[in-house]
Amino acid sequence: MTSWVLGEFVEEEPLLEAARTLRAKGVTGLDLHSPYPLHGAEEALGLRRSTVPLVALVAGVGGAVSGYLLQWWTVGIDWPLNVGNRPPHSPPAFIPVTFELGILFASLAIFLGLLFAYFEFPRVHHPVFEVEAFRSASIDGLWISAAVGRTEADGVAAELRRLGARSVSIVPGEGAP
Amino acid sequence: MKTGAMKLGPWEGGTRARNVAGAVGAAGLALTLLGGMLGDPRRALYAYLVAFVYWLGIAVGALILLGALHASSAKWPVVLRRFLEAVPASLPAFVVLFLPLLAGMRHVFSWADLGSLEGELRHLVEHKRPYLNVTFFAVRAAIYFAVWIGVSHLLRAWSLRQDEVGGFDLTRRQRRLGAGSLPLLALTMSFAAFDWMMSLDPRFFSTIFGVYWFAGSFLGAFCLTAVAAAATRDDPAQFGAHMNLEHFHSLGKFMLAFVAFWGYIAFSQFMLIWIANVPEEVPWYIVRTSGGWRWVGVFLAVFHFVVPFFLLLSRPRKRDPRRLARTAVWLLLVHWLDLYWLVMPVLSEGGPSPLPWDLTAFVGVGGIAAAFTLWRMHGIAPVPLRDPYLADSMRYLPP
Repeated sequence: MTSWVLGEFVEEEPLLEAARTLRAKGVTGLDLHSPYPLHGAEEALGLRRSTVPLVALVAGVGGAVSGYLLQWWTVGIDWPLNVGNRPPHSPPAFIPVTFELGILFASLAIFLGLLFAYFEFPRVHHPVFEVEAFRSASIDGLWISAAVGRTEADGVAAELRRLGARSVSIVPGEGAP
Repeated sequence: MKTGAMKLGPWEGGTRARNVAGAVGAAGLALTLLGGMLGDPRRALYAYLVAFVYWLGIAVGALILLGALHASSAKWPVVLRRFLEAVPASLPAFVVLFLPLLAGMRHVFSWADLGSLEGELRHLVEHKRPYLNVTFFAVRAAIYFAVWIGVSHLLRAWSLRQDEVGGFDLTRRQRRLGAGSLPLLALTMSFAAFDWMMSLDPRFFSTIFGVYWFAGSFLGAFCLTAVAAAATRDDPAQFGAHMNLEHFHSLGKFMLAFVAFWGYIAFSQFMLIWIANVPEEVPWYIVRTSGGWRWVGVFLAVFHFVVPFFLLLSRPRKRDPRRLARTAVWLLLVHWLDLYWLVMPVLSEGGPSPLPWDLTAFVGVGGIAAAFTLWRMHGIAPVPLRDPYLADSMRYLPP
């Protein structure tokens, strides 16, 4: 099972350095938490680009296509309607709904995707919040967290102490080791 | 490129480019004049009108962008602001370039020559006489130019004075005028579109028409900035060298936004008129969606909206100045076609009939405007040296 190792730092540079060092040692599941945007955090964590834009693009195009097909089938083929003597299949009249469904699908995909896939709902808060002191991450504390196997947790914790963390905590994961 | 802003002095280059642009412009205008004298003067004037509203629109679009950036107290574009001050500095040249249109009004605007109209159309134009008459048309044009030149002159003059005296006071003044002038600029640009393009067909009216011209021109202002920045990236004496990839990325985001805005405006105007099917309005679109013009319209929908939209979604493209500039050049070209499609069907229903004068007028007006702009850029620092936010802008890193 996964455990979370948390380390609190006072200065930015040791924090970023700790992220770089742990990443170089092959520790995965690293994250940084700070009360303000940390320039250089993406580079230190080696983050790839988020997959959210891709989800939005695919869902948006899918929504637009299905919106158009829906109108084409219902109004144009299955139950032709004469509106102002225009052809049943009138593309300009279909564009607004096509556009709206593209937006709707994209935003729903982002919302539900974030909720269930990225934030793992019904989990209501991330395990790092089990540590009482972690609330300083939204006041003045700079934190690093690593999601590691339970057996590696002690090693990573020792490494964080060596890298200059002011305090180190371990949140054990649930279930069998 | 780490030369530091303080070493930057006045820009002494550009004389060669100015001379070339001036010569090309003069030759283009001379050829267009020749075309008007040898062939149909009306056709040559229409080619000239398309070129005129194209280049003027970009200059006014850049002025509105400058005002909007001041209004939002934006820090990031300070490094590229001098260019946005330089482009509207071409506006006095357009006063002179407007004179041929004023002189040839009777050839261009059917309402200016009441005797040539008959029947219901004549009755309609007589009804619109209090607005559509030669005197008021000229007075309005004078008001538009006075507003544009006044605002652009003050914003630029204050920015240039700040290069010498520094301080925050001049920044505050530019912000106030930039914000305060936006309603005036919006109204004058909108009414200029009514006067110079919409009134070509005196029956047609669309309240969104000015916004349509603005949408394409504003996009053009971003595109021109991106092209100029990419072209001057290797010359530390010019503004492009002091921009980082984040600036290009932001320009690209604005281009994406205003490609979408243009598509939205163009479709809104079309859809509302198409669906209402009112006899006064819909013929304007019937002409533009039948015969050869139909394919121009379809081409615009695909290559002025769909393709650039998906190209500009790409993050690597926005962060690569060369590729971004290529997309910008493409958008600048299709913007010309867009205006051609707005103006020219009045003259040649049934389809486009391109003539050399379309090209000569385009490079003629563009060459003169570019030469005038380069002349006004000469001897002036390429970035606002003592703007309090220049350093912030140069290390721009969006959160």
